[in-house]
Amino acid sequence: MLEDKLLIWKFNRGDREALRSIYEKYKNDLVTLSAALLIDVSSAEDVVHDVFVSFIESSRKFRLTGSLKGYLATCVANNARNRNKAGRRRQNRQADVAMPDASRPDSAAIFGEELRRLSFALGQLPYEQREVLLLHSYSGMKFKAIAKQQNVSINTVQGRYRYATDKLRSMLNGEVDK
Amino acid sequence: MRPVDNINDLLKKLKLKASTVLDIRVHNDISKALAESDKTESAVTQPNIRRTIMKNSITKIAAAAVIIVLVVLGLFEFIGTENTSGVVWADVVSKVESSRGLIVRCTDLSPSSEDDYSITYTSPRYCRRDFYKDGQIIRTGYTDFTSSDTDTLIDVFHIHKLCSTTTYKKSEYGLFLEWKDDWTNPGFLVQKILSCKHSKLGQKTIEGVLCEGIETTDPAYLGPLPGEVNNLQVEFRLWVSAETGYPVQYESKMSGEHEGEVWESESVTDQFQWDVELDPGIFEPNIPPDYERITWPGIVEP
Repeated sequence: MLEDKLLIWKFNRGDREALRSIYEKYKNDLVTLSAALLIDVSSAEDVVHDVFVSFIESSRKFRLTGSLKGYLATCVANNARNRNKAGRRRQNRQADVAMPDASRPDSAAIFGEELRRLSFALGQLPYEQREVLLLHSYSGMKFKAIAKQQNVSINTVQGRYRYATDKLRSMLNGEVDK
Repeated sequence: MRPVDNINDLLKKLKLKASTVLDIRVHNDISKALAESDKTESAVTQPNIRRTIMKNSITKIAAAAVIIVLVVLGLFEFIGTENTSGVVWADVVSKVESSRGLIVRCTDLSPSSEDDYSITYTSPRYCRRDFYKDGQIIRTGYTDFTSSDTDTLIDVFHIHKLCSTTTYKKSEYGLFLEWKDDWTNPGFLVQKILSCKHSKLGQKTIEGVLCEGIETTDPAYLGPLPGEVNNLQVEFRLWVSAETGYPVQYESKMSGEHEGEVWESESVTDQFQWDVELDPGIFEPNIPPDYERITWPGIVEP
């Protein structure tokens, strides 16, 4: 936390070199979060790139005082959600467009064979539930912060989290039992 | 196969590495932004470091936690309680009291920990703490307890080439209001621990050493905290060698909520080296000339 506060301090006072440290510190976590949201590595890296481009562009006027990790996770989630929506719209217009499909079993190997079942099961969850689950369990965000980010009530967020974990547990245990 | 019980643990296994292509794209963009800013660099308003960092109350508690670790360490040097089967706790008090210097390792197990472990060198009046990450010292903290009114913490951040100074007013911000009584006073500190509920943990072998332990979960042990902390939970365990009477391991776990934010801290302190003669020079802050000094008043208002 102290390290982040120093990075933010350097960043806020115009030290753009701090951006490199921030990127290096969080790049793997953000790519993982994004890939788990989109079930697609290529799009995930585009999301992280877009987030950092915006971050760089805002560096002059931007003032951050809260959690850096939470802020970046929120940016990734927002960008991934927009990309997911745009992808679905495109798929509706053009049925044969090659978009990543989270429900396809071959998409689920992005985290390696060991976690294939988990990533496949994640892909089966409704996007909103997957987002809550990952932001809370993977990125460590509080329900309150996720509710603010998603512009919904905290009860809705907690409900999505509960549904997501129940569904995921059921799917994974089902797979195990087979 | 075992059914999947803990989804959280499973999700934490997800791990991808950013590709070299992404690294190049982002670093190129940062380089472009840097080049652009060099051209149009204007005076950048430097925010008041205290406003940026210390305004957040949770940070104040986190900052105080630095002192907690140091003082709790000191506190347990002088811990005392009734006799148990093997360890004579009164002897523990006298042994650690006569220890000239102490070296210990502390491993911070909190999720937000940024170091692998730290090595602390403590004398009755000074403390130095080196924080290690991947085998390198990333930060060194020097604490000076010699003033009767204030404690001064100098933090040297080697990666950032920054150095910060924080002064804590003992009477207003110390975790023990009674600090005015001198935190090195073992009589006071023994009273403090004895005033809390504590229990015996029996015997346990740690690193081949037979130890006896005591535990307290009484938040009153911490004394007055800076600001309102809800749901405060503490667990402190001290393990002392049954043979030598010196502390061998100290475990600390604390959590609480302050102004809606959750604050958690968990650590294990071990590898105690007691009664070491420490070179006074190691407590002299070593700040390379190219390090930028940042000073914030911290708790002491100007």
